Amino acid sequence: MALRPEHKSRTRTFAHPGRYNPVRVNCLTSNAGKHIRLYLEPGICLYDGLVKPLATMGISSASTTVFGGYFSSLDYCVAPPDPKGEAVIAYSAPINAGQTYMIFGNATLGESSDGIPMVHCHATIRTKDGFIKGGHIITESAIVADRPISVLVTSIDDFMIKQTFDQETNIQLFQPTQRDHYV
Amino acid sequence: MSEFIAIETGQMGRIAYARIAPNEDLVKAVEKLCLVAEFKNAFVRGALGSLIDASLEKGDGQTIQVSGPAVEIVSLAGEVRSLDDGSVKAELTGVIADPEGNVSGGFFIAGANPICMTLEVTLEEWLPE
Repeated sequence: MALRPEHKSRTRTFAHPGRYNPVRVNCLTSNAGKHIRLYLEPGICLYDGLVKPLATMGISSASTTVFGGYFSSLDYCVAPPDPKGEAVIAYSAPINAGQTYMIFGNATLGESSDGIPMVHCHATIRTKDGFIKGGHIITESAIVADRPISVLVTSIDDFMIKQTFDQETNIQLFQPTQRDHYV
Repeated sequence: MSEFIAIETGQMGRIAYARIAPNEDLVKAVEKLCLVAEFKNAFVRGALGSLIDASLEKGDGQTIQVSGPAVEIVSLAGEVRSLDDGSVKAELTGVIADPEGNVSGGFFIAGANPICMTLEVTLEEWLPE
């Protein structure tokens, strides 16, 4: 029996390993956020360049935009299907892009499940070989080259962004969380 | 907002941060986020996440199809507007990376960009004068 042809815009629905969570849009709002412009300092990693100055201002959750800038070294991951089958996808081993120009990046600052600052960054980059690539940036090994890089920060003050285990996808991921859950 | 407004002044209001779950559509989910947050108009302040597959407008009635999983969202910009008929409409543009890290960019087609693992998105409410 011939299968009914699919409409070309038909999307795929993937089954994840865990139980389906009926909450599909997990959202919290904050009455106001501070806007901060900062420079990532040359010679330090993207993680420290974001986490340390914001910590001095008491900011532990934020959404940031990393404007264009050079990194003396940068590693990124792509997201193919999980070979172990524990989740639908898993990050690849880090790929070294060498001396890299970050064209544009978005980084979320939150707190890991262990209670330490965590930065999740995706970016478009130009690698040392001139290829334009995109992926998940390893913020601890992305070293700012000799020029500072501007970042626009929107702080989240009324709640926190917390890495929590997501049963449905079977991975740890950022979720908005009320602060009083962790007092 | 059916009339064309060339210049609009206003200010930023509240901030919403959400985690959108798998298999939800990127564009429709950002619209639903505005309903949850009770934002009439908003700008995307930042977003990262992944799609199962991606469909972008090519501009000539054709689409750019990028197969995953996963297709990473590496940049996202856009806005949500409330329309006179009571609906909200998100218009989103961005850059995506396929499972080899190769990039494409364009306007996301509503209903055709299912989220793979997660979408982290921050919206800023826009309050026109």
